[in-house]
Amino acid sequence: MTPIIDFSDVTVSYDGVPALDGVTIAFGGGAIGLLGPNGAGKSTLIKTVLGFNRAEKGRVTIFGLPMPRRAVEVRHRLGYMPEIEVSSPKVSAVAFLMYCGRIFGMSRVDALERAHEVLNYVNLGDSRYRTMETYSTGMLQRVKLAQAILHDPSLLLLDEPTNGLDPDGRIEILDLVRDIASRPDVTVIVSSHLLPDVQHVCEQVVMIDKGRVVHSGAISELTAPRPEFYEVRVRDNDEAFIHAARSAGYECARVHPSNMLLVRTSQDTGVQQLFQIARDSGIQVRHFQPARRSLEEAFLQAMEKE
Amino acid sequence: MPIYAKSYRRYEGRPRRHFRWLVIVEQEVATLMKFRVFKALFLLSMIHVILRMLQVVAYDVLAQDPNHPLQIVFANLDIAYIGPSTFFSFLYLQTTATFIILLYAGAGMICNDFKNNLMEVYFSKPLTWLDYALGKTMTLVLLGLSITALPGVLLVVLHNLLLPGMETLSDSWWWPLSIVGYSLLIVVPTSLCILACSALLPSQNYAAIATIMALVANSSLGGLLAGMLHQRNYLAVSFPLALRRIGETLFRDNRILFSLSWYWCFLYVSVVCAVALLIVLRKARRAEIAA
Repeated sequence: MTPIIDFSDVTVSYDGVPALDGVTIAFGGGAIGLLGPNGAGKSTLIKTVLGFNRAEKGRVTIFGLPMPRRAVEVRHRLGYMPEIEVSSPKVSAVAFLMYCGRIFGMSRVDALERAHEVLNYVNLGDSRYRTMETYSTGMLQRVKLAQAILHDPSLLLLDEPTNGLDPDGRIEILDLVRDIASRPDVTVIVSSHLLPDVQHVCEQVVMIDKGRVVHSGAISELTAPRPEFYEVRVRDNDEAFIHAARSAGYECARVHPSNMLLVRTSQDTGVQQLFQIARDSGIQVRHFQPARRSLEEAFLQAMEKE
Repeated sequence: MPIYAKSYRRYEGRPRRHFRWLVIVEQEVATLMKFRVFKALFLLSMIHVILRMLQVVAYDVLAQDPNHPLQIVFANLDIAYIGPSTFFSFLYLQTTATFIILLYAGAGMICNDFKNNLMEVYFSKPLTWLDYALGKTMTLVLLGLSITALPGVLLVVLHNLLLPGMETLSDSWWWPLSIVGYSLLIVVPTSLCILACSALLPSQNYAAIATIMALVANSSLGGLLAGMLHQRNYLAVSFPLALRRIGETLFRDNRILFSLSWYWCFLYVSVVCAVALLIVLRKARRAEIAA
């Protein structure tokens, strides 16, 4: 199957400074998160997909079409929600979306119909008739999402979709994005430096640092239970448990900020013995399960390796 | 809850692939029409058209009717005469209104899109920088022509309708061509210069001030050079006077302001247009192709 996005040894520079450095990656379907610290090259990658940035070296194909030569055709099939605040102050959201639809090539009737449909979907309510200069950040964020999905794209690029939102607004936008990603034949790429956002929406993740892809794979694999690590919570006397476990040769540490303990077993120190230690010390074990690595840990590890 | 409130439907329409610049023209005009100031300026510019219409009626109806008591007045009144110079002076006087309207409409046209970060949204759609630049330019050009060429040609048509006959037709067949040509000469450079300022500067006000300053500086320089060097041909440095010189040729007007050939003036106007167009295209291209 042809990957939807295919980067082969792509280098993109701004005034000689490489923002993407020999990136080779292929994106299939589903929801994919682009993770990386600020300035890592996430937005550059998205703009290269859009054809805004031209690869100095390497080859970019989207839907099997070479970029940037076939950029206009590709843009028929993709939607983009930029990171920056977008507003057309003197027009209403309906008029703005209608204009976007007309630019896409829709008829006037289609554009108006679709504008209302997607504005309903992003829950903009009656405010859609107000001029956009009166909108809050959250409302502008919804309009940005609405214009991106207006023409029902099969590839949706979302650059920091929760920028500047309060916690409730953030959850609402993420739920919408997750819902869009669940539609058949829609690929969503979410670029964010907020790991929970990516974890909330995506199944796959691509980690970028200093213009290079440092890791890519399924989130479920990255956060799979680690065989030697266990989460343990004991009643009351956790200091005594830590002391007893360490004396028996286990690695044991607190997981902040919760009162959970992380215990690492080895060939010499099995799981059964751990319960024995607790029993001998008169400590009640309340919680015991194989520990999963958090996405944050996986991310930090990938960045450290780099 | 209706289905569309839960989700959105697949779009199965067939998008139009050509003339996207027309959408930009429609949108810009629709947005401008929301502003009272713009509507007022447009209507004000029409007062001149109405006065010229009265002039045509007075000359073609009253001055031609020997039984009318006012016939003697209009038949001998120079300013009531209808000829190519009538339309030249109509367009020359209309230039100020055109400049003000185009400045109001165009000063924020590109810089506001940059300021409001709309470029990324527009170019993420199947719109090219050429469509964008063409759409913005055509908006101003069509707007300008609607207050210069359109009423000018309509006045010629009215003149022919009120004074039918082969003599009128043979006298006036070339007037519409001159009107359209001179209107384009007024509107195209003005539009491109305003758009170039709008593309270069960060706000609508700066762009408007820069355009006015450039015009004032250029006109003053022309006047100063002509005065100091005692050579009237230096007046051609003034952009409005260079346009006027070409207009004089187009309308076969004898009241020539300076003797410098219209070719030089046309070359000057063309160079200004080319530079302004280059700025607009470069900025639009840079907005689509960042690196």
